[in-house]
Parts: sequence; C-alpha cells; structure tokens
Amino acid sequence: MTEKEKYRQVCREAAATGIALLILIAFWLFAGFGFSGSSVTIFRLPLWAAASTVGVWIFAIVLVWGLTKWVFKDMDLGDERHD
Amino acid sequence: MTDTGRPEALLPLALFMVVMLGISFFVRWQARTGEGGFLRQYFVGNRDLGGFVLAMTTVATYSSVSSFVGGPGMAWSVGFGWIYMAVVQVTAVFLVLGIFGKRVAMLARKFGAVTVVDILRRRFRSDALAAMAAFIIVLFFCATMTAQFVGGAKLFAAVTGYSYELGLVLFGLAVVVYTTIGGFRAVAITDACCAIMMMIGIVLLFYYVLEMGGGYAAIMDHIATNQPKMLEPFSGGKMPAGLYLTQWILVGICTIALPQSVVRGISYRDTKSLHRAMIIGTVVVGFMNIGVNFTGILVHGAMTGPVASYGGIDNIIPITIATVMPSTLIGFAIVGPIAASISTISSLLLVGSSAIVKDVYLHYREAQGKTTSDASLRRLSMAVTAILGVAVFLIALTPPSLIWLINMFAFGGLETAFFWTLLLGLFWRRANRLGAFLSMGGGTVAYCLAQGLGFKIMGLHQITIGISLSLILFLIGSFLGEPDPKEVLREFFPE
Repeated sequence: MTEKEKYRQVCREAAATGIALLILIAFWLFAGFGFSGSSVTIFRLPLWAAASTVGVWIFAIVLVWGLTKWVFKDMDLGDERHD
Repeated sequence: MTDTGRPEALLPLALFMVVMLGISFFVRWQARTGEGGFLRQYFVGNRDLGGFVLAMTTVATYSSVSSFVGGPGMAWSVGFGWIYMAVVQVTAVFLVLGIFGKRVAMLARKFGAVTVVDILRRRFRSDALAAMAAFIIVLFFCATMTAQFVGGAKLFAAVTGYSYELGLVLFGLAVVVYTTIGGFRAVAITDACCAIMMMIGIVLLFYYVLEMGGGYAAIMDHIATNQPKMLEPFSGGKMPAGLYLTQWILVGICTIALPQSVVRGISYRDTKSLHRAMIIGTVVVGFMNIGVNFTGILVHGAMTGPVASYGGIDNIIPITIATVMPSTLIGFAIVGPIAASISTISSLLLVGSSAIVKDVYLHYREAQGKTTSDASLRRLSMAVTAILGVAVFLIALTPPSLIWLINMFAFGGLETAFFWTLLLGLFWRRANRLGAFLSMGGGTVAYCLAQGLGFKIMGLHQITIGISLSLILFLIGSFLGEPDPKEVLREFFPE
C-alpha cells in the first residue's frame, strides 16, 4: 500500500467504527426502551433488562468482530524515524 | 493511627504489590540495552505491545476504583437502569482503537513521536497549543490520581480494618515506585495483571453475594416483590432520560479523546495486535461493567436496609465484601478494586510525566539547540515520575472533600480539551491552529466555569456545554483563520 492508500484505508476504518457506534446506539435504544413494555422474562429478568445489558454486550462483540474481519485491513505501520 | 485489622486480609494485597514491583524490576532489567532510545522505551514501551496486553492495559487504565465502589453501590440503589447506563462503556476500547489506533500509530512512527502532544504540536505547528495541552493533562491527571489514591485507601481501610494511611503507603508508594522504575512496558504488563485480578475479584464477590442471599432466584424474587421499580429502565424517576444522554457522551463517545487511552494507540506492535485488542477489550470491559454492577444489584439479597443505615452509597460494596466473604478470601477480593485504582494511577502518572519531560522540557531544550543525553533523560524522567507520584500521594494523605466530583470533573475536562482537537485535527484538512487553540482553551475554560458556577442547560451535565462550545469555537477558528501550510497538510493528509 502507498501512503495515500493507507491513509484512505485508515479513514474508511475510522468512519466504519463511527457507523458501528451508531448501530450500537440504535440497538441499545431498541433493546432497552423498546422492550420496556414487554412482560416477557428471561432468567427472572424483564426482557428489556436482559437485552439491554448482556444483549448489548454480545451485540457489541459481534459488531467489533465484523469490523475487524471485513473492514479493517492489516498494513505496515511505517518505519520508525530516528532522531 | 489504630491498626486493628485482619492480617489475612493484608497478605494477598502485599503479595500482589511485591509481584507488581518484581515485574517492574524485571522489565527494567530487560530494557537495559536501551534499543530504540530511552524515551521510546520508557514512555511507549518501544511500541511492542501485543493484542492481549494492549486490550488489558486500555481496559485497566479506563476502569477506576469508582467502577468497583461507587458504581455497584449505585446499582444497588437504582437497579437495572444503572447497568443499562453503564453498558455504554462497552465502546471504551473499540472506539478509541478503531478511530485513532492506526492513525496515531502511523503518525508517531513517521515523526518519532512518543506522546499525543507530540502529534498535536506537529499537526498545528504551535508550541503554545502544546504547552496548553501539557498543562491540561498534568492538572486534570493530578486530580484524577488523587481521587484514585483516596478511593483505594478508603476501601482498604473499610474492608481490612487497618488504617487509611497504611493502605495508602502499601499500594500508593508501591505504584509510584514500580511506575518510576519500569516505565510504560511495566505499566502495561502490570495493568494486564490488574485487569485479570479485577475479573477474579468480581467473580468471587458475585459467588458469595449469591450464596449469602440464598441464591439467584431468591434474590430476584425479593427484588421483584419489594423493589419493583428496580426492574424499570427509569427506575421510578431515579434514571432520567437526560442522565442516559450525558453518560453516552461522558463515559461513551468522548472517551476516545482521553490522552491516556489515545497514547495506547502509539504503543502496539502491528495491526494484527490492534484488531485482536479491539475484540478482547470489548469482551473484558463488558464483562467487568455488567458483572460488577449486576453483583451490586444482587447485594439486595444480603443487605436489605435503607441506604442511610450503611452510611451512604460508597459504603455498600466495602461492607458487602467485609460481611459476605470468608475471612480467608477477603484479601483476594480487595485486590480487584485496588488493582483498578493502581492501574489508573500508573498510566496517568506516566503520561503526566511525559507531558512535563518530553512535551515541555525537552522541547524547550531542543528549541535552544541543546541536546540531552539518554542518561540525563533517564534520570530526569524517573525523577519527574517519582516527584509527581509523591506529590499526589501527599495530597491524598489529607484527602480533600468531594473527591468523586473532582474525578468526574477531570474526566469531562480532558474530553472537552482533546475531543475535537484530536478528531478534527487528525481527520479534517481544514482544521487549523486557530481553531484548535480556541477549541481547547475556550472549551475547557467554559467547562470549568460551568462546573464552578453549577450552571447547566436543561439539567444536563456540563460536558454538554464544554463539548458543544469547543466544537463551535473550532469551526469558527478554522473558517476565520488561515489554513495550515501546505507542507504540514501533505505530511498529515497524503495526496
């Protein structure tokens, strides 16, 4: 990769991380406030409490795994400058 | 000072601190060849961290003693709404590493930078901005470190029965010594040990809280019957929507700009390590936040009185540890929260020291055309780290009041100062020196004033004022001021 290509890739990865954050916030809202009216329980927890805590955590892990697998690329970070 | 504590509670912590010191001396011995120059070795571990250590040091630095004391205490009082709010911290590792990880790693190698301020100075060609950034780092870090010392020592005294001062000496001096001796690499490895001990501490406490409360089903039935509001997201008004919003900003999104987190982006070996750290870090930070706060809620099985009967929210977890844990395990349980405290202190101490030595002193010397030998840098860096640590230690000996407020105040101040300056500075060509200067200076002053006067907009935390104003000032400065020179832009934004 040239320096320019690396820079573009780093920008793509940063933007994808920002989009992942927005997706996570949407999921967090849906899982918590969205399910708060449900009477379903899981392990004696209201559905919203289970989905918005453990559910959000698992969702975040999957999201980050997806980022590193499909968006992030291995690249040389460059040579060290020695003063 | 009356020490009528339990020796069995003291021993594991003392052993843990000896191991931390041992790691530090070993790292120092390993680095005796000085490959890569002293500054790179001491302040960023020669850019050699693997994925696991990078993840653990980022998590441990971020997780403070309040994550183990105040947080679960609030969960005990509020219920699942508190965990719903705390879970936003699953973003704490992947956001900072995903957005800044590669960007700062490549720039640091390109310019031989070892601090975040190094990169800002190069980007904006401004010594005044760099000096202001270094000042803000040292100021707010001292406040945060004091809070960690005080929080850890108070917990120690409450659980072990020994004095506050003994706790401070035991872990406070040890952390100053091992950070001074070993530098960044020792801090990163000890952070990893701390993170592991935090997780073990959570699991131990979770198990004994369940046992004391008669099992998971019994505790949850008790909560459903006696505290039904704890099962609602707004917790009967204890968790207003505005609190959720500001927590997303304060402990979620804006944490990407904390200098102690960003500097980890210039310390890892290769991109594989970074990708691995993003996944491991998300797993670990979620486990800790959900685990410790869920344990706080389950304490209702063991402690059913009103909060006043326990002397306040901050006493809930120390009393729980002292009452539900077998005496032989109390010492192990306390290592987790103390580890959270020392891992934060060690990282802040080193970044604070680098701000003084590298960003101020060394730059001043270079500007005068003077060179500094590696041996002098070694002596100076270790001396500054030690002096900074001892100074904060001495402040903590007579703890100021409202220490937790000071801690959160510092968190918001750092985010206000660095969020837009780093984000726009590193990804937006139009960002310029004037914008960065106005944003960092104006935003931070506005944030401090709003905090000092207790001024809020719509009842929201003052971080909303600081972060909004710093953005506005950045944009005004960038559009009114001269664009940065083309050669600077070419360095940062290859064409």
